[in-house]
Amino acid sequence: MPEEKLFPNNKPEPWQEILPVLPTNLRRLISGLPQPVLAQLEEIRLRQDRPLMVGQAQNDAFVSPEGQLLTLPAGAYLVSGEDIQRTLQLVSGASFYALEEELRNGYITLPGGHRVGLAGRAVVEGGQIKTLKNIFSLNIRISREVIGAATPVLPFLVCRQGICHTMLFSPPRCGKTTLLRDLIRQISNGVPDLNLPGLTVGVVDERSELAGCYRGVPQRDLGARTDVLDGCPKSKGMIMLVRAMAPQVVATDEIGRQEDVAALEEILHAGVKVLFTVHGSSLAELAGRPALAYLFRLNVVERFVLLGRSRGAGTIEDILDGKTKRSLWR
Amino acid sequence: MLKMAGCLLIMSAGSFAGISLARNYARRPEELRNLITALQMLETEISYTATPLPEALGRIAARCDKSIAPLFFKAGEELRAQTGCTAGEAWETALNKFYAISSTLPSDLAILRNLGTVLGISNGEDQCKHLRLAREQLKGEVITAEQQAAKYVKLWSYLGLLGSLALILLLY
Repeated sequence: MPEEKLFPNNKPEPWQEILPVLPTNLRRLISGLPQPVLAQLEEIRLRQDRPLMVGQAQNDAFVSPEGQLLTLPAGAYLVSGEDIQRTLQLVSGASFYALEEELRNGYITLPGGHRVGLAGRAVVEGGQIKTLKNIFSLNIRISREVIGAATPVLPFLVCRQGICHTMLFSPPRCGKTTLLRDLIRQISNGVPDLNLPGLTVGVVDERSELAGCYRGVPQRDLGARTDVLDGCPKSKGMIMLVRAMAPQVVATDEIGRQEDVAALEEILHAGVKVLFTVHGSSLAELAGRPALAYLFRLNVVERFVLLGRSRGAGTIEDILDGKTKRSLWR
Repeated sequence: MLKMAGCLLIMSAGSFAGISLARNYARRPEELRNLITALQMLETEISYTATPLPEALGRIAARCDKSIAPLFFKAGEELRAQTGCTAGEAWETALNKFYAISSTLPSDLAILRNLGTVLGISNGEDQCKHLRLAREQLKGEVITAEQQAAKYVKLWSYLGLLGSLALILLLY
């Protein structure tokens, strides 16, 4: 199906967008990697006094001081405390004071929708995480927009009322968010080949991952009829969106807490279709989580989509019917 | 005729040297006061709106007195260029350029340099504490700068002229 982008953008390569947050010596090492590696680069991991590591679609590798890829950590470039401190300063745009909320959550969103996960020592006050200090571990995750990722799935999700209540599930790093993002975009723009008119989509983006909002402005194309509620807790945001923006479809990432399921239950019965993702590798595993077990008992989800990495991130392993739990895929 | 021209040259050079030294003394308290106001603005940007530093520095450069604007403009520009420098390094570069064109003294420079080492790397509360400390220290410098201005502005402007006259008499 020919894909016409509604918001054409001539952006640099995703890996180029994260270079400005790296100190110059690391910039040189990363940008010197072979082109095929850069094209598949998923994450860059910096841990103080540990080897510099890059994560690709299929495997992890270490980087030598000469910019060569190594499979074993021996001889790799050791990330110094200075590297970590400089990266942190660059990631924060020299403004740690502007990121207090982000530090509490343990990640920072960069322009372009990429994110930097942080680990260090948590400062706890009254049972709540106040901030992180002594940060010694960073994971720069490169976010990719895969236009057309949802094309093979979409025919299974379209029904007479528009689209089905759908749950996407997989272990981490299998492309749930990427698939959900493209689903939102296609549903929002409409798919004439499937007789799917464009639907108004409300997105609750608690972790700024779907729309990749940077200072409130979505960095990702989520379609023409999409409203994004950025940084809002899912449980509150879903209900807020239904009341405020009258969406036909509500989409959100990583449902799992009791209050998320309660909010989901409320909007499932409000004539709104829902699209959401969950961490897990099988339906049986999901049913073992109390909040999700309750959701399964409600028996309202119409399609389950399982993702995996058997043929790279984003492989669609199975699509199940919600009622019969029978496979519709192949 | 040649002697007359030489005398004139010595006199104008002497008075110019005197006046520019006097002007430095007169300008310093003014610049320090402007710096204090600008740091107050920076504190507001950080504590109330949590404006990111590159943007905050740019805004202050646009609003503050033009005698000190280059400091904030240059530091903001360095950070926006994303060359990989930290806030401290950007501030240092801007400070060195500013010092060369301003009337500030090494003691003022030391206060501003100290501020640069902490700029942007801690939470809002901590940033405000450091900004307040720098302002208090600069206020102390304003007092000495004013005392020195009262003492030396007139002295140097007269000394330049009179010194050159004395030299002319000696040479004759």
